[in-house]
Amino acid sequence: MSTTENSMSAEYKEAITHLLFQLADDDFLYAFRGSEWLGLAPHIEEDVASSSISQDSMGHAAMFYHLLEDLGVGKADDLAHLRPAQDRNNSILTERVNGEGYYMETPQYDWAYQVVRSYFYTQAKKVKVDSLCHSSYKPVAEVAIKVKMELYYHKLHWETWFKQLMSSTDVAKKKMNDAITVVMNDFGDVFSFGNLKPKIESNNLLDSEEEMKKRWHASIGPVFEALQMEEPAIPNHPVMNGRNGEHTKDLDEALLTLSEVYKLDPVAVW
Amino acid sequence: MEGVSKMTGEKTFYQEYEVFSKRTPNSTFQHQFSLLAPNEDMALVLAQENFMRREPVADIWIVNRKNVRKMDAEEKMTLGRLDNKEYRTTKGYGYLKKKWRQYEQQVLDEKEILSWGGERQ
Amino acid sequence: MTSLHNSEEEKLAHFMHRIEAGDKIEADDWMPEEYRLTLIKLISMHGISEIMGALPEKEWVPKAPSLSRKLGIMAKVQDEMGHGQLLLRVTEDLLKPYGKNRGDLMQDLFNGDLKFHNVFHMKTTTWADAGIIGWLVDGAAIITQTNMLGASYGPYGRALQRICAEEVFHAQHGESIIMALAEGTENQKAMIQESINYWWESLLMFFGPASKETTGSSKQDLTIKYKIRTKTNEEFRQLFFDKYIPRILSLGLTIPDSTIKFDADSKIWTYKQPDWNEFKKIIKNEGPRSQERLNLRRTSYENNAWVRDALSAVVN
Repeated sequence: MSTTENSMSAEYKEAITHLLFQLADDDFLYAFRGSEWLGLAPHIEEDVASSSISQDSMGHAAMFYHLLEDLGVGKADDLAHLRPAQDRNNSILTERVNGEGYYMETPQYDWAYQVVRSYFYTQAKKVKVDSLCHSSYKPVAEVAIKVKMELYYHKLHWETWFKQLMSSTDVAKKKMNDAITVVMNDFGDVFSFGNLKPKIESNNLLDSEEEMKKRWHASIGPVFEALQMEEPAIPNHPVMNGRNGEHTKDLDEALLTLSEVYKLDPVAVW
Repeated sequence: MEGVSKMTGEKTFYQEYEVFSKRTPNSTFQHQFSLLAPNEDMALVLAQENFMRREPVADIWIVNRKNVRKMDAEEKMTLGRLDNKEYRTTKGYGYLKKKWRQYEQQVLDEKEILSWGGERQ
Repeated sequence: MTSLHNSEEEKLAHFMHRIEAGDKIEADDWMPEEYRLTLIKLISMHGISEIMGALPEKEWVPKAPSLSRKLGIMAKVQDEMGHGQLLLRVTEDLLKPYGKNRGDLMQDLFNGDLKFHNVFHMKTTTWADAGIIGWLVDGAAIITQTNMLGASYGPYGRALQRICAEEVFHAQHGESIIMALAEGTENQKAMIQESINYWWESLLMFFGPASKETTGSSKQDLTIKYKIRTKTNEEFRQLFFDKYIPRILSLGLTIPDSTIKFDADSKIWTYKQPDWNEFKKIIKNEGPRSQERLNLRRTSYENNAWVRDALSAVVN
C-alpha cells in the first residue's frame, strides 16, 4: 500500500485524513476533560499523577494533528482550535462534561465518571493503537508505536482505580455502576469509523470495527470476571455518531473555551 | 470520612509510603520522597508521576513507613568513628607504588584491577 | 542523647548548637516547640498556597492559545500541585505530636485558620495574567525559596531542592509567554502592560511588610533566629527589584510606580508602598477571589469525600 502523498489515491487520502481526525479529536477532547480536573481530584497525589495522563493524551493529539499538517490539511494548531463542532470527528464519549457546572465557577465533577470513562476509553485506545502499529499508512504506524509506550501506565492507573472503587463501599459501587451506564450509553461511536468505514477498512488502515470491539471485550473481560460483574455491552447503533460530525452542546461549549484566546488573533504568535 | 490516624485500629485513607527508585537497571535504589495513599497498589501507581516525572526510571519500590526501622538520636551516636582506619583502605599501602618501581613492575591499583573485567589486552 | 541532655535547657542549648554548626534537624529529632510551630506555620502556608495557587492558573489551561502552550501550562499547574504535595508531607510529619493529618489541614484552610499567599486571592482576566504569574509571581517565589534551600530543617530544605529545580522551568515558561506577547501585536503588548499594572502591588505585598509594625505581625525574626532563612522581607523585595525591574523595562514595559528609583550608592530601591491595609484584608480571605477559590476547593473536597471513604483501610 502506498504511503507517500504523491502516490496516494484520492480515496486513500480521504480515508487516512478522516481517521487521523478521529484519533486527534478524541485525544484532544479527552485530554481537555482530564485537565478540567486539575486541582480538584479527590487526593493531591492523584491530582499530580492523573495530570500526566492528560498531558500525555494532549501530546498524542498533537502528534495526530501534526500528521494531518504533514498531509497538507492545515496547520496543527488551526486544526485543533478553529474547526467548528460539525467538522469534529471525536466520539461523543470524549466531549461529555465531567459533571454539572462551569469549570470557572464551582463545578460538581463526578470522580466515578472520570474513572469509568478514562478506563474504558484507555482500553479502547489501546486496542486501536495496537492495531495502528500495523497500519498500511507508515507515518501513523510510527506514531502508534510511540503512543503505545505511554498507554501501559494509563491502563494500570485507571484499572487500579476501577478495581479498587468497585471492590469498596456500597456508595462507591453504586456511583461506579451509575457511571458505567452513562459511559456505555455513549460508547456506540467509540469504535465506529462513521460513513468512512468501508474506505478505512478496505485500505488496511487498521482492523475492522467488529474486530476491535471483540478485542476490547477480551481486554476488559478478566477484570469484570474477577469482580464478578457482568460485562457491559457496546450499543449496536450509536444515538449520535461523533465520527459523522454529530455532537452535543457540550462540545460547542468546550470549543468556545479551548479556542477563546487563540481566536482573539489566529495569525498572531502566542 | 477520613479522620485522625494516630490512634491504632482506625480507618484512614492516609497511609505513609516511602518511595525509592533507580534511574537505570544498573544503578542503586535511591530514596525519593514520601506520599500518602490508601494502600500499596495505589501508592505504586502514584509514585512515578509524583516524584520522577522528569527523569528516567527503571524500577520503583514502595515501603510502608511503619515497616521502616529508624534510628533515634541516641542510636545515631553509634555512627561515630575515628579517622584512623587507613589499614582498611589503600591509603595505608601507598608506599607500594615506589617499591614495585624498583622491580620494574606496577602496583595493582584500583584502575588496573577493575580493568581486568574487560577484554584481555 | 536523652542520657546526655536531660534538662530542657540542656536540650535547647544542644539544639541551638546544632543549628549554629549548620547541622540539619530531622522530623524525629528533639526540637523546641517554638521551632516546630514556626515551621508548621511557614510550611503549611507555603504548601497550601501551592494548592490554592493551582486554581488561578488552571483557569488558563484549556484556554492556552496553542497545543504547546496547553501542554506547558498543564505541566506547570501539575508542578504546583506537586509542590503542595511535598510541602504538606513535610508539614504532616511536623504535626504528628498534635495528632493532626492532611484532612485537618484542609479543614484549617476552610475555616480560615490556615492562610494562603495574597497573590492567589487575585483574579485573572487575560492570557497575559498566566504569563505574569509564571514570570513574576513565580519569580518572587523563587527569591524566597532559594533563600531557604539551606534551611536548618532538613526535610524542608530537601523539598525546596526539588521545588527550585522545577521553578527554573516555571520561570522560563513564564518568560516564553511574556516574550511572545512583548514581540507581538499592539493588543498583545497592551495585554501584558495591563497585567503588570494589576499585579504590581500584589507582587510587592508577596514578600510581606518590612517590619511587624506595618501589619502587627511578622514571623521573619523567628525564621532568621532558627536559620530557616537568612534574608529579611525587605531584602527579598530589593533582590526582586534588582532581578526583574531591568528585565521588565528592557521589553518596553513600564512599572506602575512613577516614584520608583534606584540609589546607586546605597544600592537601595525606593518605591511607593502598597496598601498594607488591603494586604491584611486579602490574607483574611477578603480578597477579590478569596471566597470563590475557597468555595471551589471546599466543594471539590466534599464532593470527593466518598472516594477517600471508599478506599480507607483499617490501620493498626
